[in-house]
Amino acid sequence: MDLFLQQLINGVIIGSTYAVVAIGFALVFTVLRVINFAHPEIFMTGMFAGLLAGSHISDNFFVVLIFGAIGAGAVGLTLERFVLRPLRGRDVLMTLIGTLGVAIMLQNGMAKFMSPDPVAYPKSLQVSLLLSDDIILTSTQAVNFIVSILLLAGVSFYVRKTRYGRATRAIAERPDVAAAFGVDVNRVSQVTVALASVMAGIAAVSVGILYGSAWAFVGLFYGLKAFICMLVAGNRYFEGVILVAMMLGVIEALVTGYVSSNFRDVAAFTILICVLYFRPNGLFGSYDT
Amino acid sequence: MILGSNGAGKSTIIKSILGLVKPSRGSILFEGEHELTALAPHQIHKLGISWVPEGRQLWGTLTVYDNLRMGGFIEADDAKISQRIGEMLERFPRLAERRDQVAGSLSGGEQQMVALARALVSGPKLILMDEPSLGLAPIVIRDVFELVKEINASGISILMVEQNVRQALKVAKWAYLLEVGRVVENGPSDEIANNESVREIFLGGRH
Ligand SMILES: Nc1ncnc2c1ncn2[C@@H]1O[C@H](COP(=O)(O)OP(=O)(O)OP(=O)(O)O)[C@@H](O)[C@H]1O
Ligand SMILES: [Mg+2]
Repeated sequence: MDLFLQQLINGVIIGSTYAVVAIGFALVFTVLRVINFAHPEIFMTGMFAGLLAGSHISDNFFVVLIFGAIGAGAVGLTLERFVLRPLRGRDVLMTLIGTLGVAIMLQNGMAKFMSPDPVAYPKSLQVSLLLSDDIILTSTQAVNFIVSILLLAGVSFYVRKTRYGRATRAIAERPDVAAAFGVDVNRVSQVTVALASVMAGIAAVSVGILYGSAWAFVGLFYGLKAFICMLVAGNRYFEGVILVAMMLGVIEALVTGYVSSNFRDVAAFTILICVLYFRPNGLFGSYDT
Repeated sequence: MILGSNGAGKSTIIKSILGLVKPSRGSILFEGEHELTALAPHQIHKLGISWVPEGRQLWGTLTVYDNLRMGGFIEADDAKISQRIGEMLERFPRLAERRDQVAGSLSGGEQQMVALARALVSGPKLILMDEPSLGLAPIVIRDVFELVKEINASGISILMVEQNVRQALKVAKWAYLLEVGRVVENGPSDEIANNESVREIFLGGRH
């Protein structure tokens, strides 16, 4: 029972990060009609930006988060301006190759300039919290979770209650009509990529603090799972993506706890294949493209 | 108004004016001074050109209220938008009841009301209407034409495409007949209504 509770907590926490990365994928996909394969690497860049700020500028928690956001946001904006925008309206294969190229550059560039192995994060924030004798919730886990939940709440508010957020949903559903009613699609695309990147950067820093390290190849891990979440949920309802991400985190944690961590990814892909077989548009539906 | 058979290019004309398709040659002048072909759709909208698309094309996942807010997207002042939407909801009481429902769940007639209201929120000078009576019951069609007249009487120009040629010609002042992308006839609506080929093709022969 305690193992169950422990894995439930672990699962929800990792799921909340999957959710942030998945929402980033979904935001960019629905507005720009592009699968941004560089998104997980923007996440990774944010993680290193936080690390560098933490070891060279200040190990204040908020400073580190802000630098994670700035680092990831800068990469996202550059990507939008120099890769996504010039390729808008071209063949999907071109944007696929373009974003994949940027992903490989970021990944290997970071491995070359920093290290191909995990690099230690400043340790000053790591304290463990004992919920009971058997269940451990570390403060870094709590931080990771709270940061993710705040980001998700923020983006939910953005798309439902703000003018630009509404435009985001309007473009997702009918890009032509949105443009004809005064929405500057380039501008909204830029804001969307920036937002997705900043969210990823902040979440990445909290993950870096959680695991005590940044790693050039961390994007593969989170990116793949987040991508699965978006496909399983469908891109229509962000709340659906969040729910699926949390559930995937929990299922993975339970599989790890009760079966073996070797089967964790098998579980994720089995779910993906089953859902797409029966509901190709995802559990909660997707926008037409 | 523009009339012409299916595939004549009526919707394409409207989309060209909106900047959603780029004509391969020629120019489109608005108010005699704005060259529209050089502008992006959002810039064209800011000049005061609005749209009631063929088949309504509401944002089905957004509420009625949010559809109207998007209609007024270019107005950043929230208070002004609320006030204009308030006026729309007074004009369309059915929509007031449904303001928080997603637009996709409304009936065809109600959706057409939303499409008309959405086009009005930004306070345009010209509204391009693409078959506003498409798929509606005859009684609702009558309402739609009444509204079109009202909107026009309030000082807003309307360029309308309609398959309901008889009724549309009664509302319109000037009509163009389009055949495979070319204007083959144009003139005051009552003259066009008496035109030989128009009567033959669109008004079910002489009578
Ligand atoms: N001037 C043109 N040059 C080239 N292609 C055109 C032109 N006008 C229309 N087309 C093409 O013809 C097809 C039908 O055009 P459009 O949708 O404008 O027809 P429509 O008159 O609105 O028909 P409907 O009554 O069915 O709505 C489209 O595929 C469009 O791309
Ligand atoms: Mg048409």
